[in-house]
Amino acid sequence: MATVEKYLKPEVIRHISRLDLRAQFIVKGFLQGLHASPFHGFSVEFSEHRKYTHGDNPDDIDWLVYAKTDKYYIKKYEAETNLTGYLVMDLSASMAYTHDQELTKFEYSICLAAALCYLMIHQNDPVGLITFGERIVDSLAPKSKRQQIGNILSLLAKLKPRDKTDIGQSLNQVAAMLKHSSLVMIFSDLLTDPDQVIAALRRLRHGGHDVILFHVLDQAEIAFPFEGLVELRDPESQEVIELDADSYRSEYLEEISSFRTMYEVECRQSGIDYVPLDTSMQFDRALTEYLINRRNRG
Amino acid sequence: MGFLTPALLGGVALIALPIILHLIKRRQPKRIDFPALQFVRRRQAANRRRLNFRHLLLLALRCALIASFAFALARPTIKGSGLRGKEGAPLAVALVIDNSVRMQYAYKNNTRLQDAAEMAKGLLRQLPEDSEIAVFDLSRTGAGFVIDAGTAEARVQNLAAENNPRPLADALREAIQLVAERKDSRQEIFLFSDLNTDAFTESALAGINESLANAPDVRIYLVDVGVEEFHNLTVQPLELRSSSLRQGEPLRIEAPVQAVGTTENPLVELYLQDSKGESIKRGQRVAELDSDGLGRVVFELADLPLGSHQGEVRLTTADPLQADNTRYFSVEVRPAAQVLLLGVHDDEVLFLREALSPSLVTDRQWVRFDCVTELYSKAAALDLSGFDAVCLVNPPPLSDELWQAIVDYADRGGGVGIFLGHLARASDFNNITPQKLLPGQLKRKSRLATYLSPQRMDHPALSGLRNFAAEIPWQVYPVFQHWEFADLVGDAYVIARYANNDPALIERPMGRGRSLTMTTSVSDPLEPVGRDPWNLLPTGPEPWPFVALSNQLVGYLAQRENRLLEYLAGETVTIQLPPQQRVSSFVLRQPDGQSLRRSLPPGEDNIRISTTSELGNYRVASGGQSRQLDRGFSINLAPELSQLTRIAPDALLASLPEQQVKLAKSLGDVERYVDIGRSGRSLFPWVISLVAIVWGAESLLANRFYREAP
Repeated sequence: MATVEKYLKPEVIRHISRLDLRAQFIVKGFLQGLHASPFHGFSVEFSEHRKYTHGDNPDDIDWLVYAKTDKYYIKKYEAETNLTGYLVMDLSASMAYTHDQELTKFEYSICLAAALCYLMIHQNDPVGLITFGERIVDSLAPKSKRQQIGNILSLLAKLKPRDKTDIGQSLNQVAAMLKHSSLVMIFSDLLTDPDQVIAALRRLRHGGHDVILFHVLDQAEIAFPFEGLVELRDPESQEVIELDADSYRSEYLEEISSFRTMYEVECRQSGIDYVPLDTSMQFDRALTEYLINRRNRG
Repeated sequence: MGFLTPALLGGVALIALPIILHLIKRRQPKRIDFPALQFVRRRQAANRRRLNFRHLLLLALRCALIASFAFALARPTIKGSGLRGKEGAPLAVALVIDNSVRMQYAYKNNTRLQDAAEMAKGLLRQLPEDSEIAVFDLSRTGAGFVIDAGTAEARVQNLAAENNPRPLADALREAIQLVAERKDSRQEIFLFSDLNTDAFTESALAGINESLANAPDVRIYLVDVGVEEFHNLTVQPLELRSSSLRQGEPLRIEAPVQAVGTTENPLVELYLQDSKGESIKRGQRVAELDSDGLGRVVFELADLPLGSHQGEVRLTTADPLQADNTRYFSVEVRPAAQVLLLGVHDDEVLFLREALSPSLVTDRQWVRFDCVTELYSKAAALDLSGFDAVCLVNPPPLSDELWQAIVDYADRGGGVGIFLGHLARASDFNNITPQKLLPGQLKRKSRLATYLSPQRMDHPALSGLRNFAAEIPWQVYPVFQHWEFADLVGDAYVIARYANNDPALIERPMGRGRSLTMTTSVSDPLEPVGRDPWNLLPTGPEPWPFVALSNQLVGYLAQRENRLLEYLAGETVTIQLPPQQRVSSFVLRQPDGQSLRRSLPPGEDNIRISTTSELGNYRVASGGQSRQLDRGFSINLAPELSQLTRIAPDALLASLPEQQVKLAKSLGDVERYVDIGRSGRSLFPWVISLVAIVWGAESLLANRFYREAP
């Protein structure tokens, strides 16, 4: 389990735990946010009684209470609270990239996924894992047992990002695969044609899934820190471009900025949470910030 | 454009190195994996073009760096002056230095001459050892090539201001001619001048142009040592009423003062030398300057004793040019001349005597002539040697003895005036003895009315009338009769003629003296008894011309004409000795106090002095304490030498051949010209600066290009 521990670093767990224990309202909010489920199905778990008012379903009247108190009370059951979460991990070769950071984008994503997985399991929510390259590569059925963390992390640890990627196609597959509304957490650098990705994201959303898009980029991809004459090679396509980094930096920064802005706008329009991240950010802090933001929004 | 080491230009070929390196060993860029290539790709084309441009720019800079290095090491030179020279040939150099007295104008503690000499010396030190050098100045002596630069430098060092300079153009032309003889050399002339208009007149420029046309290889570097804004105070030539005073006659000196560039009224002082030769201040005046900068002061000195007197008028106000602040003067105070008037009777000489010695003037001290009247009949008994002049008025036929006595008198240095009238007889006057005095054979009496019409007044006998020549109405005083001469003897000289061109006044030298014959009477009464008057000269209306003429003629005969006592520097001074005086040696005391003893050849009746370059008062003395001879004269500066007006350098250059003449203002210019002329102006500093700039640009670009990517 050394590999698992690698991703669930004690300080991260501590931080997350601390988040859980000391800022429970946040966690609650987070969980509530996550559990903002529209489903009001049947459940054996009693929640509460309240007085019957006109318009309530008469079927919900608790006759035993009526018998005892001679008043009409509605019996509320706790709604479906277990929301299935899916960690959708991009396995493209570009995710294995880091320029000078400690973690590659993939490792950074695993750390993030592990933390979220820990949180979900902690709340007894089932979590599954889907990895994709050009198509779905591997998947792990959602479970809420504590062993699930180990399962997910050990699977992730075995995976090597090496493929070419087709995010749009893969997300379409994911959308087709998920039967119930789920929380889909996508970890990708999105370095592909954005149109297909956005279309797939919309389809996911349209399928009733709650989608969080963690857009993970390397710090070098954000800041373009190169100087002088450089030859850049795409690890996926092996394409090579030679350029003068100094003169190109500002143009690149414009490009990457507009790229992220475009995703942000599209996601907002589609009701998707877009979380731009780069590998130089403390992922736990980034996650916390995100959760707080989400709670506030919620 | 030329190169001192042209072989090093071959280094330009090394630009092949960066080109080859560029082609075969292009530096590999840093390889970096970068997944987000899609964002790079979008603007890749523009960036690639820019990259290629920078590559080429860097290559070009490196090529330029190598080429400019090779260029700099080849030591490029440029012939910026356009002065063509014979490359590598030895130099034939003439330094022409204007050392006229105006070059003593002081500016910034240096005279123009000192500045010129300093520049010239600096130049001499720059010249190659094998140069031939000549130094010309404005002294009268010519110059040739000197032995070495040291000699030339010594000559330059010893240059003194010349009070009597020859024209600068003459010296320059001489220099042109000299250096032009060195056909195989580079012929260069450095002319140091203050660009005075006086030195570059039209004729002077024409002469220089002519010389340059004949010497096309000669180059002249005109070094301007003048001052643009100058100011100067000058005492103009003094105006004395007469240089010869009678005893008691006051000396009146007018001193015109001219100021240029200053409005300060200067103080003018008059000094007179005492018997020991020491200057004693006798007066001072402030000259009030008018708007043109002109002023005038007048001094008057009375009671000068007999003898020669000398002095000076000087400005006490200091100005940059001192040489023209002092003017010297000499006057002589002499007793009245003893004149013997011979006539048939007293009335015959009345008018002449009254003209020479007016009886109405009671103060005899003012009378120039002391006249003694005597009859011809008693003349034989007289000792003529006591008289300064003898006048024969309307002479009748005289005895041979008397004629001979008069001839002897003239031979010894006396002056004899013969005023022919109606008593003269050709038969008697054409005898041998009178003919020794007369200018020719008497021919006949002309009765054609005419009048005196002196055309030129330059003869000493008439020079006193020169200033009034246009104002004398000679035609008012008709001459009805005059004698005509058949032929004038060879040494006779007509001083003045009548309107009909017949001789009126004829001079004839006689030994050490002279005779002066007037062909009409000078003392005819208005209405003579039994005949018509010969002329109305003394009896016409207001006969002042007669008085003036009589005084001039007799004064000339008595050698009391105004002697010339003022000369310009460099002029030869002639001192005529008194007729009876025998001088074998004399002492010339110069202004600096130095005395020179000179001897005079026997029989010489003139002392000629040519060493007059120094300004001041000179004294010629002979006879020791007895002062047998004691005469003075003054040497002054020519007035034009104190005019400081400059010719505009551009105008000067425009009137000289452009290809042959260049102007310099400082020693730096001169040295640059020498440098240019010899090897061209070195472009090394400029090119090496260019190398530095290119190097810097290359380093900047290369660093930016090949910065180690992190």
